[in-house]
Amino acid sequence: MADLLGIGVLFAAVAVATLVAVWLNKSVIPFYIVFGMVLSPSVAGQFSVAGYGLPVVESSEFIELGAELGIVFLLFFLGLEFNLDRLLDRWERITRAGTIDLAINFGAGLLLGFALFRDPLAAFLVAGIVYISSSAIITKSLIDLGWIANDEADPLLGTLVFEDLVIAVYLTIAAALVAGGSDVGAAVTSVGVALSFIVALLLLARYGTPWFERALQTNSNEFTVIRAVGITVLVSGIALAIGVSEAVAAFFVGMAFASTTHTHKLENLLEPVRDTFAAVFFFWIGVETDPRLFASVAGLVAAAVVVTTPTKILSGYLGGRAYDLDPRRSIRVGLGMVTRGEFSLIIAAVALTGAGTSLSSELANAVYSFTVAYVLVMSILGTMLMQYSAPFEDFATARFGAE
Amino acid sequence: MDVTESDLPGVGKKHEVDIGGGQQLVVVTHNTGTRELYLRESEDADSVKLLELSDRMARIVGTILEGAYFQPVESNHVETMLSEGTLLEWYAVEDDSPLVGETLAGADVGQRTGVTVVAIQRDDDVIAAPASTAEIEAGDTIVVIGERDNCERFEQLLGGEL
Repeated sequence: MADLLGIGVLFAAVAVATLVAVWLNKSVIPFYIVFGMVLSPSVAGQFSVAGYGLPVVESSEFIELGAELGIVFLLFFLGLEFNLDRLLDRWERITRAGTIDLAINFGAGLLLGFALFRDPLAAFLVAGIVYISSSAIITKSLIDLGWIANDEADPLLGTLVFEDLVIAVYLTIAAALVAGGSDVGAAVTSVGVALSFIVALLLLARYGTPWFERALQTNSNEFTVIRAVGITVLVSGIALAIGVSEAVAAFFVGMAFASTTHTHKLENLLEPVRDTFAAVFFFWIGVETDPRLFASVAGLVAAAVVVTTPTKILSGYLGGRAYDLDPRRSIRVGLGMVTRGEFSLIIAAVALTGAGTSLSSELANAVYSFTVAYVLVMSILGTMLMQYSAPFEDFATARFGAE
Repeated sequence: MDVTESDLPGVGKKHEVDIGGGQQLVVVTHNTGTRELYLRESEDADSVKLLELSDRMARIVGTILEGAYFQPVESNHVETMLSEGTLLEWYAVEDDSPLVGETLAGADVGQRTGVTVVAIQRDDDVIAAPASTAEIEAGDTIVVIGERDNCERFEQLLGGEL
């Protein structure tokens, strides 16, 4: 199915996904993915009812571009809400908690990735995939559970901010490595180009504030939205064209806008744009996934869940302690960080672009299916752990004292 | 009183207010404008959500808390501010007021005080926009609009001090 009807089915499906999520009181992201999978050619395409085929949404240019815009706007928002000055206030604590989180989880991810896939590049991708927690789902859960008003919110959100910064650098390198292929010289060149582009963007974000300020100076909401989208998508597109991650470019454009007076307005105006295309992105992830491949990666996913759940709880616990929280609240930080989501999927999408070049098609698809299944499990497991944190808190209090 | 402000990246801002007795009121202001109010019974207790208000509602409740709509202080008369400096006021006509028995035109209210009489309340009746020939009786309540100075002059006139 193509054209407007296909897109209509897509948007109707994600709309139904939001209903189901509200009904079950769960985060909507896993449902977008599952609905995408159900309507994909590999599931719905296999069945027919009374001789009629079920509606199937095939990946089309529109959906792929929509998904790409989803990534761009997700990262744009990260940059927009990423205020360096505010961050510097608590830099010491954030860095301590963030470094513990990075060392433990990225380290464990590298070992795990190599053990599972026997390939250095795949190991690097898996390390990123299991390292990065889901800002979107965790923040939503914090609000739902009321933890947002408690002290554990500080290390949780602080560590997420740290991860966001790391992931911007990570994506640059990952995209360059995947594009660079197996040739070491080519990989070094593409990482070099990517990093120079990032430095250029960083300078633009740092010194371009007056220009960005003037660029959005208008009384019309329409013009504001159009100009912001125009700048963001154009810069991201240029980045992609020269082989740099479009997500990272969007992140820096967001950061550039963050220091203007338009931040709040942009957040309000662009949130619906982001949410619309983010839904397309998650749905596209589902469409691209053949659930039959889950069987072949089930063992890998189980191993990853068993290894990376405790590592996040441990690093979160230590991060909470670095914020001088008592054991009970620290364990909550650990449980809260377990959820993985959108960024792991963005890395999976990067992995897919390397199919047949830097990664064998088989390996790229395995990493992709692994990630989708892993994110589905971790997004549900993570939110459940937060919801039913009481026994873990009791354990932590009994084991480490109440303080 | 201690108020702690902290940023909630991606969410908004958090203000923690010590309200005495070890209790803290926590206000989470979302970027969308929604405010969530939490009460924390003691320092290490969990925050309990009290209520959630939209941006608009929060402003209304805020101004009520601030005392802008109603300040519980002793006051001799009702005072309603229509806009900066312009009041809508109610005055009771005492039995010994020199205006008893006069018409509005006869007392020359408009010229002498600058207020406009918009209604006279007599027992259960309200004479809206009374004509200049309307007679003032003891026990009436006169509703006037005018600048604060003019309202004060009218009060003096009514009390026989002008």
